[in-house]
Amino acid sequence: MVDKHSVLLKEDKCEGCTNCVKKCPTRAIRVHQGRAWIKEDLCIDCAECIRTCEYHAKYTETDQLDDIKNYNYPVLIIPPSFYGQFESDISVTKIKAAVLKLGFKRVYDVAESAAALSRKTLEFLENNSGSFISASCPVIIRLIKLLYPGLIDMIIPFKSPVELCAEKTKKLLWEKENIKADIFLLTPCPAKLTTIKYPLGQKKSFLTGAIGVENIYQKIYDKLSEITAEETEQFSDFSPATIWGQEGGETDILKRWKGISFVNVSGIHQVKKILDEIERNNISSDIKYFELSSCINGCVGGVLNVVNPFQAKFNLQKRMEQISELDKKDKKDFIYNFLITEKIEAEDVGKLDPDFQKAMEKLEQMEKEIESLPGLDCAACGAPDCKTFAEDIVNGLANKSDCIFMLRKNVGQLADELSELAHELPPVMSSKKEENNESKRSD
Amino acid sequence: MQKKEILNVAIERFDFQSGGEASSQLKNMLRKLGVSSDIVRKTAIVTYELEMNVIIHSFGGKITAQISEDELVIYADDKGPGIADLEKALTPGFSTAGSEIREMGFGAGMGLVNIKRYADNMDIRTAEGEGTNIKVTIKLEKPL
Repeated sequence: MVDKHSVLLKEDKCEGCTNCVKKCPTRAIRVHQGRAWIKEDLCIDCAECIRTCEYHAKYTETDQLDDIKNYNYPVLIIPPSFYGQFESDISVTKIKAAVLKLGFKRVYDVAESAAALSRKTLEFLENNSGSFISASCPVIIRLIKLLYPGLIDMIIPFKSPVELCAEKTKKLLWEKENIKADIFLLTPCPAKLTTIKYPLGQKKSFLTGAIGVENIYQKIYDKLSEITAEETEQFSDFSPATIWGQEGGETDILKRWKGISFVNVSGIHQVKKILDEIERNNISSDIKYFELSSCINGCVGGVLNVVNPFQAKFNLQKRMEQISELDKKDKKDFIYNFLITEKIEAEDVGKLDPDFQKAMEKLEQMEKEIESLPGLDCAACGAPDCKTFAEDIVNGLANKSDCIFMLRKNVGQLADELSELAHELPPVMSSKKEENNESKRSD
Repeated sequence: MQKKEILNVAIERFDFQSGGEASSQLKNMLRKLGVSSDIVRKTAIVTYELEMNVIIHSFGGKITAQISEDELVIYADDKGPGIADLEKALTPGFSTAGSEIREMGFGAGMGLVNIKRYADNMDIRTAEGEGTNIKVTIKLEKPL
């Protein structure tokens, strides 16, 4: 069976603790039979469980370098965040030359497509009333589809920089050089891998695969010392849009150009908070654009990166000091098909029953269960909190005795009954009164 | 079908920390009942405005909600000063909130205006010195 998601579990390493269960922003994980189970329809690939797990039982399986040997013309596209993995005195051209040496035919920067997307976004925001949410983080789109479907219309209707870059690269190589290329992404996160299998806003992804940064970082690093000056010459230096790799990078460009008012938020739990406020209209309508990223510090915080998110953000910022302003116009932008081709649809999950009456009955039953539960949200039952546990009970997915407090109560009652029975004497030894009671009971 | 109470949240004056509680509780319940996303959104907005009104303007009260297959009715009942001039209160931008409330980003004078905009019906009964009772109706589409 092909897994829908890119976050997987090493069963032998899972201790059955409930750390991931409690940290999951969509309450998608339960622990049963001593191991975690991810509910596929609720998982948004945010990788919080990978971050949380102390036993390193959660992981992502991205493509390996060896996999590219199966393709005639493998091309690697590098996201802006990757340059945060190196100190700023190692030039971008040198890094790209080292990547090329690993066996790719070409290497391109996603940042150039991000720059084009920035220009398109500015044009869109100037010509449309209302507020919009950036579509660059796939986790955020999945979160909105799942928990905030009322906000789907706020998602800006453009493809992600990664998809734009892959589409453009494929198209140009074919049209200009008659090359059929397979595009691979050097990915900082599992979510971008999932997007290849399950695209958002597109019928099909333009990517063939994605290689996690952790898989090839060391190999790239080792190659750096071999790179000669001539080898770096074929590459363009990095785009000012490389700032997209960190939180606030996208909006930083828009702000410099045209004072677009914006808010940027990173970290999935904080993002949920701002989406709550947007949903209840408790945020100023002056805010035109929301740049929301699932990982803390933006893409530099992706779990597949090697360098810690704080150092990576510093590295990227340091690199940005050397560059000029991004051009506001570029005649070459016509090459891109920015608009998404498929509607972003709400996920049909979360209802107790397709029938309203039955859902009502289950809701009432759920309220009753919640009242009887201890409300400690200890997660010892395997669900993240008592409310979710109650929902699992009414959906037939859990038993009330899975709650250790309920179990203790039951055992206590049983013990009381046993002790009562133990004090009763056999009929031949009991007094008249007890005998009467006994006969009543057998009636 | 009979209406069933699905929400009952007591609200204290100036308890800003709890603002949003009734709104998010109700939103979660509607999602579990399979109500469509645009109605969930309308409800979240309306309920939040109602509870913030009770927090800011009254001496305390409660938000309750009843639901049947075809409509959701939300009640905001407060003990409070009442609304002196209802017509004025329904004017966009008019607010009796003090400067300290405005400094917190509330009291923009859009509360009742927004509720009216998103609700299918709004009924206000108010008596000066006694309190205000607002009844808001939101029609539910036929669930799929």
